[in-house]
Amino acid sequence: MQSVFQNGFRGRMQRALAISALLMCLVPCGFSAPADSAPDVILNATHVGPRRIEPLTERSVLRDYKFGWANLAQAFQSNSAGALNGLFAGTAITWLTDAVQSQIRAGLTSRYLNQHHKLDAVFYAPEGDLIELHDTAEYDYQILEGSKTIHTEHAFVHYVVLMTPGADRWVIRQLQSVPQF
Amino acid sequence: MSSSINTACKIHSAWRGSTFLLGLLCFTAMAFAQDVTLHPPSAAIAGQAAAIGTEGSGSATFYLIGPSSSMKRNVHLGREITLNAGELRQSGRYVAVVCNGRCTSAVFYVSPAKPASMIFLVHPSRAPVSQSDLISGVAIPFDEFKNLVLTPATVQFQLTAKGESPAPRGVETRDGIAWFRANSGKSAGALQVQASIKDVIARRVVQQVASDPCSLRIKGQRTSNGILIETEPVRDCSGNPVPDGTIVTFTAKNGNETSTVDAPVKQDVARARMAAKGPVVISAASGVVMGNELHLGAQE
Repeated sequence: MQSVFQNGFRGRMQRALAISALLMCLVPCGFSAPADSAPDVILNATHVGPRRIEPLTERSVLRDYKFGWANLAQAFQSNSAGALNGLFAGTAITWLTDAVQSQIRAGLTSRYLNQHHKLDAVFYAPEGDLIELHDTAEYDYQILEGSKTIHTEHAFVHYVVLMTPGADRWVIRQLQSVPQF
Repeated sequence: MSSSINTACKIHSAWRGSTFLLGLLCFTAMAFAQDVTLHPPSAAIAGQAAAIGTEGSGSATFYLIGPSSSMKRNVHLGREITLNAGELRQSGRYVAVVCNGRCTSAVFYVSPAKPASMIFLVHPSRAPVSQSDLISGVAIPFDEFKNLVLTPATVQFQLTAKGESPAPRGVETRDGIAWFRANSGKSAGALQVQASIKDVIARRVVQQVASDPCSLRIKGQRTSNGILIETEPVRDCSGNPVPDGTIVTFTAKNGNETSTVDAPVKQDVARARMAAKGPVVISAASGVVMGNELHLGAQE
């Protein structure tokens, strides 16, 4: 009888430990879920000039900028510059690739979590071959050395962005952070 | 039962023990970690050395994470951390982190240097003459490190056509971009388009070509093989000869019969040979322009 009782107690303890372990796993998983969530991007093109942005172009710019940031976050989190291919070109891809490579050399990784981007289109070239955007970005930024977090902040960053049309998408050519617009 | 309670107590005491140990470790780590204050540069310029002031003592690990670089090195607290020109080439946001048990960070911005190059987009490459607002140009200045220069600067645009005096205009950059729109000139030929900021100059050429034909006049005569028709030199409304290859369509009507021939302009003139024996009325057209009618009698 005592043995049965002890076994029952052990079983409950094991279940409790298992549930605790599961909860301990789920809590950080829950916090890290936004790391995989897509960036939230909105685009305001009401004050752009000298050319108006066609609705189809507006949708393409929004889509490609959003994918660009998702890829950027993945590249910096996994230290893999390959994720940058396709949506970045020119100076932007050179800088970002260099940043990922130097991150690897320094033994760092970084995370861009819970991204929100408020884009304002400020210039659209007369011939439609260049667009300038102002991005007021908000995200949780973490820098890690191995598994140790050495910097974490809820960052508000302003970016000046130049995008040009490619064969089937808009590519980011310049992604330059500034203190203010 | 008592065995179970003993087991629970052992787990509890073990938990308390580990908590105590963890607390002790944290306390020890905090005792060794010092408060560090960083004083980042307030007006750093791309490609220029700068320094970060530190307060505290002892050694620490310094990290600098910028737009295109990350680096790590050992530093001594209480001394300035020197950042050489090569470490601050890219304009943008930098995060400086110093860790000595505990990590302290500071954010600063690096501004672009002065313009050293320019992207200059000009459209179109071939422009018909006398068209309003047809030519446009966009100039974007960059510094020597490919940073977009956002400080307002005046870009001098200059359009120079052969035989015409240059038409300069100054446009101040806004958000790093200056642009213009202009009419095409009156005469065909190369239009030199230049953008400059101080000693930074970018040049492009727009080939101005004749517009559509303005009028058509034809003449013709019967020959042993039929009718030989040709235009007078075909010109646009500004008097420029239209480009070779411009198509002129000749139409011959003989009663109910109609025959058509397309002929390209070659050295200002389009020529065609048509077979018609009876009396014919010949006309010509190019684009939206119709020529005169030519009445020829029957072949003798």
